[in-house]
Amino acid sequence: MAADAGIIALGAGLAIGAAAIATAWAQKTIGAAAVGATAENDKMFGRGLIYMVLPETIVLFGLVIAFLLIQKM
Amino acid sequence: MFKPREMKRALIVGSKHDLERTIELLHSMGVAHIIDYHPETQDDQLTLGSPMEHASLVSQQLLRLRSNAQLLGISFENSPASTVMAESHITKDLELKIHDLELSVLSVIEDKTRIEDHLKKIDGRIAQLQPFVDIDIPLELYTGYEHLTVFTGSVRDMKTFTERLPGITSEYDLFVAPGAEQVLALFVSKTYTEDAGSLLAECGYTELKLPEGKGLPKQFIEKWTQQKQELTEKLQQTNNQLLDYRKRYAEFILASEEYLSIKVQKTEAPVRFATTAHSFIIDCWIPAESLLSTKERLETETNGSLYLEEFPVGHEEEPPTLLENPKPVRRFEFLLELYSIPNYRDVDPSVILSLIFPLFFGLMIGDVGFGILLILVGYIFMTKLKNSEGFSNIGWYIIIAGIFALLFGLFVFGDMFGMTFQTVAGETNAHSWSELLKVTIPIPSLIHKMEALGLTELLVLSILAGFLHLGLGLILGFISERKHSWKHAITKLGLLCVLVGITVLIFVMADWTWGQWLKPLKTTAVAPFLWGTVIPMLKTGMFLGELLIPYVTIVLAILGVLIILVTTGGFGLIEVLEVTSHLISYTRLAAICVAKGAMAFAFNVIGLGMILSGNIIIGVVGVVLLILMQLIVFALGSLSSGIQALRLHYVEFFMKFYKGAGVKFTPFKFHRKYTVKE
Repeated sequence: MAADAGIIALGAGLAIGAAAIATAWAQKTIGAAAVGATAENDKMFGRGLIYMVLPETIVLFGLVIAFLLIQKM
Repeated sequence: MFKPREMKRALIVGSKHDLERTIELLHSMGVAHIIDYHPETQDDQLTLGSPMEHASLVSQQLLRLRSNAQLLGISFENSPASTVMAESHITKDLELKIHDLELSVLSVIEDKTRIEDHLKKIDGRIAQLQPFVDIDIPLELYTGYEHLTVFTGSVRDMKTFTERLPGITSEYDLFVAPGAEQVLALFVSKTYTEDAGSLLAECGYTELKLPEGKGLPKQFIEKWTQQKQELTEKLQQTNNQLLDYRKRYAEFILASEEYLSIKVQKTEAPVRFATTAHSFIIDCWIPAESLLSTKERLETETNGSLYLEEFPVGHEEEPPTLLENPKPVRRFEFLLELYSIPNYRDVDPSVILSLIFPLFFGLMIGDVGFGILLILVGYIFMTKLKNSEGFSNIGWYIIIAGIFALLFGLFVFGDMFGMTFQTVAGETNAHSWSELLKVTIPIPSLIHKMEALGLTELLVLSILAGFLHLGLGLILGFISERKHSWKHAITKLGLLCVLVGITVLIFVMADWTWGQWLKPLKTTAVAPFLWGTVIPMLKTGMFLGELLIPYVTIVLAILGVLIILVTTGGFGLIEVLEVTSHLISYTRLAAICVAKGAMAFAFNVIGLGMILSGNIIIGVVGVVLLILMQLIVFALGSLSSGIQALRLHYVEFFMKFYKGAGVKFTPFKFHRKYTVKE
């Protein structure tokens, strides 16, 4: 049982960790472009912000999966 | 409140004779959003109007005034309006006053630049001569020799130079400044000029020219320093004079700048109209409720010589958007415009935004202490930065969010600065306010952020919030699409079916959580219906492994997908996935709430551990550290909560119904600040 718990915990960690890296990776590119666009045109701020936070949903998928896994411990 | 104001398109036609009077009237009524005339798109017989006669004179005056204002450092945007001037007072001898202003400002500015130039020159000279002060040879001795060449300057490699110079000749005299060791004065016989010159070049020589004159460098520097002091005093005087002028003319400049801007707006307005040889046509949008009064006033004031015809809004046309909301809500229109100005045909979501944005914001913070801090910060924003529209609006959002955070902290989470009011049973290393203050605080925590059960409850709560928010968005989408295309409107209903189905599935998965929330209903009249019919129906379904999939979900999902397939085809299925991911997206409410709570909790354990350690020094460090760490949690937490709450609206909510890309209603008028019309 203890071994199972360990594997589950690892899985949960991987789920949220990998999802967070993916989010960061996506945001890096979008963020740079959004700041550039806003510098050129202030009106792009709103849209830039939306594009910027779009990938954050990915990490939430990771969170939900991690949470469902942890409940099985 | 939920729709932009209705607009009517109006054409105002009149003789050029009445043009000035018409412009004056329209400007004073301030209800017309003028549509600029573009000749190439319309009849060739019409041409663009030309500015009124005195337009160029007025523009010139405005330009001169603004340049003088800039010289005096007067800014038009942030100057408070202390007094309001009457127009007649401004127009009296305006040209003369501007001329007078120009003359006085110009002469002072000229003085100022002259003094500054002079000062710069003296500074340069002093810097040049300074190294030679220590050599202490009168300046006249550096020039006027028949058989000697004099080198003055700096050498990078002085050591090599002094070593190798005697190898060239012994007929020289070398002075090196004791203070600045790279500066030298070399007197050498003309015969060896070339050799000495090339040696100097090798050692990195840069010539420093000495000023002409008689006397020791020290005396020169003393003289110049004195001059410099006098000039600085003079500069101070001119600066004072400028400040004086600034004070004296500020009111006049602000008021007449405004007056002239209005004048330019009016005199150049004809450029936006279509004209023929003797008549003009003004094409504009007017709010429907002001149309009749506008028409009447135009007709009576021009004795019926103007003709106004109204047209209904065509399907192709894009009227400007004028939102209409009560004052506290109007501040939220700013957030809407930040995203995109609503379309004329859009539902105006300002009211919903003004309630749910701060609610989400507050839920994520959910803490009495941080709530009070938010209210304070918001108040500071609104009072200290009231000149900036953006910041004062943000202050308002923060205050409302702070109130929600306070309420959630008091009635749901029962915590302050990440520490619960009451001790949690079974938690040994967690502190509580009751334990610290040794009094029992009667504020229980309904949901414990720091426990697995609390997180589950929060997740279910987030999904519930998401369901309601998205459902509302889809219903609004249905309402606004209904007028253009029934097909698109019905797609929204299909998506609503899918949304309900998925939500039921998630709730059945977490049934014990909401089961306990429903417990209070057990004694009410709805209990037999709820426990006899609804819940058993939701809970019957087929098993997929361990997972129970309710029949309700299956039926709704199939129904929804079928509707979407029929109305929009295969591509519509992407929207099904989108709704699912959007629903899960709301779990960020729980995630940020818990993450922020956990950070504050961890810092409390560290900080309080130090404070309660018994050692005074560690205790003091602990207090400072704890305050700093709490401020960090506050700053990070508020920033991310604010952005995420906004995002849930911009992405998840607005995508369901909001089109945006509208044109803001900008009436032909001027927002007066410093002037008043008699």
